[in-house]
Amino acid sequence: MTPPPAESVAAMIRPAPVQKDSKVNRDLLRVMEGTSLGYWVLLHIAVFFMLAAGGVWIYQIYKGLGIAGYAHPVFWGAYIVTFVFWVGIAHAGTLISAILYLFRAKWRNAINRSAEAMTVFAVLTAAQFLGIHVGRIWKSYFILPYPNQRALWVNFKSPLLWDTFAITTYATISILFLFVGLIPDLAIARDRAKGWRKILYGTLSMGWQGTSKQWKSHNRTVLHLSGLATPLVLSVHSVVSWDFAMAIVPGWHATIFAPYFVAGAIFSGFAMVLTMMIPVRRIFGLEEYITDYHFENMSRFILLTSLIVGYAYVAEYFIAWYSGVEPEQTSFWLRAFGPYWMSTWTMIICNAVVPQILWFKKARTHVPTLFVVSVLINIGMWFERYVIIISGLSREYDPAVWGIYTPSWPELIIVAGSFGFFCQFFLIFLKLFPVVAIAEVKELEIHAKAHGAEGH
Amino acid sequence: MPTLLAVFEEPDHIAAAARRLIDRGYDKIETYTPAPFPEVDDVVVPKPSPVRLFTLIGGLLGVVTGYALTLWMANNWPIMLGGKPFSSIPPYTIIAFELTILFGGVLTVLGLFLVSGLPRVKLDPAYSARFSGEEFGLVVECQERDVPEIDGLMRDNHATEVSVVQA
Repeated sequence: MTPPPAESVAAMIRPAPVQKDSKVNRDLLRVMEGTSLGYWVLLHIAVFFMLAAGGVWIYQIYKGLGIAGYAHPVFWGAYIVTFVFWVGIAHAGTLISAILYLFRAKWRNAINRSAEAMTVFAVLTAAQFLGIHVGRIWKSYFILPYPNQRALWVNFKSPLLWDTFAITTYATISILFLFVGLIPDLAIARDRAKGWRKILYGTLSMGWQGTSKQWKSHNRTVLHLSGLATPLVLSVHSVVSWDFAMAIVPGWHATIFAPYFVAGAIFSGFAMVLTMMIPVRRIFGLEEYITDYHFENMSRFILLTSLIVGYAYVAEYFIAWYSGVEPEQTSFWLRAFGPYWMSTWTMIICNAVVPQILWFKKARTHVPTLFVVSVLINIGMWFERYVIIISGLSREYDPAVWGIYTPSWPELIIVAGSFGFFCQFFLIFLKLFPVVAIAEVKELEIHAKAHGAEGH
Repeated sequence: MPTLLAVFEEPDHIAAAARRLIDRGYDKIETYTPAPFPEVDDVVVPKPSPVRLFTLIGGLLGVVTGYALTLWMANNWPIMLGGKPFSSIPPYTIIAFELTILFGGVLTVLGLFLVSGLPRVKLDPAYSARFSGEEFGLVVECQERDVPEIDGLMRDNHATEVSVVQA
């Protein structure tokens, strides 16, 4: 065959055609554009709470932990309660991303990105509380096994050390998970952005082009990260629960703690995803991508985990009675009818009773109902940790050393500030990164288009 | 050597075109797809991604590090705690487990970067924003004399346009 004449090759070089962008790109990238007044108001409120808490924390570092409401024998207070609360919230993201990925539950595609982002922010928020709680923050690095002048090593038999390793691993893996998932979407944003955003997305997408080799390694990476994150997510809250279960405090020393905490974490995490995503969907008009079907599936998860949590509440009481151990029985009796009865009943009603409404399809598909239920669950789950930690510590073996703990105002401000800290990150994330995984949604759409009704 | 770029609208079409190119012996091909499509990716890169090796190495490294770290430190300055042995395997298993996940995960992502050639500063000249839209690009490097044949082959497989890429 003879080579073609030079003109024919030249004729084939055409100017780039007018870009016809896909609807998915336009719809989902639009979320990042512009900021309304409402957005700024919300961001300012969040930052205000965060700064207020930061100020109080500085004051606490100066004055010492005495300004917290700690009273003998309760020296784990609202800070640890809130730490466990945020670690729990962090569990939904990895569950949705990793476990549902392994189960090939395709409905996760619309919500996985926001849940992964919430995971990262919730872990960061939780990690703050370890620093706040230890008091002498400037010595908090003592927990790390680093070679030091004292030639001392950390105690690896302590659950607190396990916690350090579990939380740092979880933070690292969830950041990697979020970032790996973001790379193709950042490339989409890079191809369409201008100015400083182009530089930002260009840098972060690292030259992603969507070649077969890249997609293949990307798929493999997501699969393996899911495989690694699945046991991790179950281990993290188990380890957090062992912070309590390894101690011999009545009400803490129970083998049910690990599954009980993990179910509670998934429960609260899904509730938090609903609490955040219901307003986001409405404000940014994402009804086409995050449908009632997604919310309904999440509420099924909430119902299931609510039943597990409710079962754990009952099982704890049964074991306390069945064990015949008097301090255990007293602890549980006083949990329901002692000084902390209000917290206990808040927890039982919010976590075990209210979610039962989700048995009805009407409730599962009625978004305002879901929103109210999810907020109540968040409140209930904070009180669950409050009840476990405070009512356990305040009523140990010897009635002579019983005491009462009430959170002080600095603690309450710092707890409120943690919500500001979390929301601030989430609000900034909404405007900087695609909140729905664009490439994954597109994958489903293109498949559906190419294969008609048999699409997945 | 000219580089030809064909644009497709459906994953099946680009997969068929890529398969026929490979059958004809054109193996310098590259695809740009807006999302992962196994039917396309398995044609162009038939072998499983070597990223899996990285996970294995990372995981093994992690579990060894976890046990080595804890056992060595506990015996380097032995302190009796609660009458438990210095080398207590059950609690150290938790550390080893977490490090298995940590090292495995970090090395998996490192593997992703190495295998897929990230990060890179410049994008391919054939790449354009349309391939992060909804279109599929198939790039093939060939001899000048093969251009008409490939052009025909692409069009037979429903390519919407075929052009020569200028470097």
